[in-house]
Amino acid sequence: MKLWHRAASLRFRLLAATLVALALALLLAGVLLSGLFRDHVMRQFETALTQQLDQLTARLELDAAGQPLIDPRALSDPRWQKPYSGLYWQLDRVSGDGLSRVGVLRSRSLWDTQLSLLADELADGALHVHQGRGPLDAPLLMLERKVKIAEQSAARWRIVVASDMQEVTGAVDSFNGVLAASLAVLLVLLALAALAQVALGLSPLRAMQRALADVHEGRTQRLQGRFPTEVQPLIDDFNAVLDRNTEVVVRARTQAGNLAHALKTPLSVLDQAAAGTLAVHDSELARLVKEQVGLSRRHIDWHLARARVAATQRLPGQRTAVGPVIAGLVRLMERVHAARGVAIIVQAPDAPLFFAGEEQDLQEMLGNLLDNACKWARSAVMIAAEPVMGSAPPQMQIHIEDDGPGIDAVHLASVGARGVRLDESVPGTGLGLAIVQDLVGLYGGDLSLQPAAGGGLRASLRLPAALAADAGTVGQSVRA
Amino acid sequence: MRLLLVEDEPTLRAQLRDGLMQAGYAVDEADNGRDAHFLGDTEAFDAVVLDLGLPVLDGLTVLKRWREGGRTMPVLILTARDNWHDKVAGIDAGADDYLTKPFHMEELLARVRALIRRASGLASAVLQCGALALDTRSGRVTLDGRPVSLTSHEYKLLDYLMHRPGAVVSRTELTGHIYAQDFERDSNTIEVFVGRLRRKLPPGLIETVRGLGYRLVPPP
Repeated sequence: MKLWHRAASLRFRLLAATLVALALALLLAGVLLSGLFRDHVMRQFETALTQQLDQLTARLELDAAGQPLIDPRALSDPRWQKPYSGLYWQLDRVSGDGLSRVGVLRSRSLWDTQLSLLADELADGALHVHQGRGPLDAPLLMLERKVKIAEQSAARWRIVVASDMQEVTGAVDSFNGVLAASLAVLLVLLALAALAQVALGLSPLRAMQRALADVHEGRTQRLQGRFPTEVQPLIDDFNAVLDRNTEVVVRARTQAGNLAHALKTPLSVLDQAAAGTLAVHDSELARLVKEQVGLSRRHIDWHLARARVAATQRLPGQRTAVGPVIAGLVRLMERVHAARGVAIIVQAPDAPLFFAGEEQDLQEMLGNLLDNACKWARSAVMIAAEPVMGSAPPQMQIHIEDDGPGIDAVHLASVGARGVRLDESVPGTGLGLAIVQDLVGLYGGDLSLQPAAGGGLRASLRLPAALAADAGTVGQSVRA
Repeated sequence: MRLLLVEDEPTLRAQLRDGLMQAGYAVDEADNGRDAHFLGDTEAFDAVVLDLGLPVLDGLTVLKRWREGGRTMPVLILTARDNWHDKVAGIDAGADDYLTKPFHMEELLARVRALIRRASGLASAVLQCGALALDTRSGRVTLDGRPVSLTSHEYKLLDYLMHRPGAVVSRTELTGHIYAQDFERDSNTIEVFVGRLRRKLPPGLIETVRGLGYRLVPPP
């Protein structure tokens, strides 16, 4: 799984492909260079040996008895004289029927050994190259040539020169060592360069990843920054999608609002007309109209609220400062419930707290709960917001508590069901809590209602929080 | 008490006007934001019922301009938009209360009464001046618990004075708050109404302050 995950990464693929290609290329170069060097050295070695053979051939003569003779003093290389020096010659006699007498004459360096060669058919003057073993089992390069001295003689002679190849193989080995070391260093340097290249080439992707994380965690609402020309179209498209999402939500909300306005004003007219008629005389029609208007109003409220909730997508990058939203709602409640003389106590955390979502949704949830608390409170309503310590992803809790009569345990369960109103004496549609629960569910939060310590109702909201913003990256939802 | 009613839907406006007038208010009307702003800026109203979705100039802007211009009359916002965002925006623009459509006339009247009372610094819905009591909810006036029968104009006059106990109220002010704008004003009729009221109430309750106006004198 982990390996698959790594194999799926662009970085891994690029690096693996580059490294494999580099290693193969360098290996091929090594083999080729080593072969070329070996050939070259061997050719030189062979050339030198051929010269020795030529020299020997030139010194070969026959004495009066018709026996071959090579004067050792005529040969300049001192290695001919030193036993097992690595440079040898030998003269064999080849008779007409192919049988030969080996070692008619030998260099002193051969001492008590002979060069053994496979017998092969040689044309006069032709040169053959052999490899074999010589004294002390040393690898030898051997050159042979068949010569005929003077026309009268039927005898033919084979001159063999041999040289120890250890010198050559040593040179080739040491060259190979240096070559391998150089290529290894080159491989390391190229690998480092490839690593740097991949890192540099992929850095815009990492920047994009960071920008996405910023959006996801609510620090920004769009992907920020300039990217290379290959990536920028993707970024622009993505930003366009984000913008469009936001626009769709805003438009849906506006349309829901417009629909509310368009429907509710005529409903008001109908309601007032029915009420006016009923004030004068009892009328079946007026009562019906009034009843149906009431029903329509609740339908509209419910479905508009649902439409608003449905239009609310968890758009990425949203963050709303909780403090200003609470302050705004408290100003509203203090005005609207001024006649009841309810004191609203706000307990805000020291550090600013951010809700990971839309401002209007937070207002809707807190507004309904606060309004409820203010309607029922005897003297005071308390609202407290705090981050949930150690939660991942980050969460926060908002408690709203009143000192009113509270709700008994039997009824707590049915609170929040659509349109259920436990007390009809206080104006309201019975939709507030249902809407709050819808929104809370949408944000993956949690709403719990418990009896408060002082006897009233305590509503606790658990909602996703956004990380504290860096200065200047606060989203649009934050109101001054 | 004189109210400004701002609503662009003519039928609803007529219904509201009728309801408010039946409750004893003098009502001026506007059907667009510009007229509403002009009226609220130049006339003295005891309260305003303001629809938010208005042609020419929207309700929130009208309200903001009034507040920026130092107009402090209580304003009740009437809106079809019932989300909390708009409510907070309304209150922050300077509204004192809001009511969402559709609404019950009784609730609107109760809110308007409460706004006017709060603006006068009075806590109770029943205004008291010695043995005299005026219930703003029912429009009933009692003296020592016995009902006092008043005409519409007498009631409006007493209502205005009882919202300002001990304060000197000029005839012009009374005229301005008892009649709507298009009513033919004659300050002499105020004197006639005051005279009639005095005959129905304990002597000395309504005092004439020479050259300035009238004052409701609470008994010691």
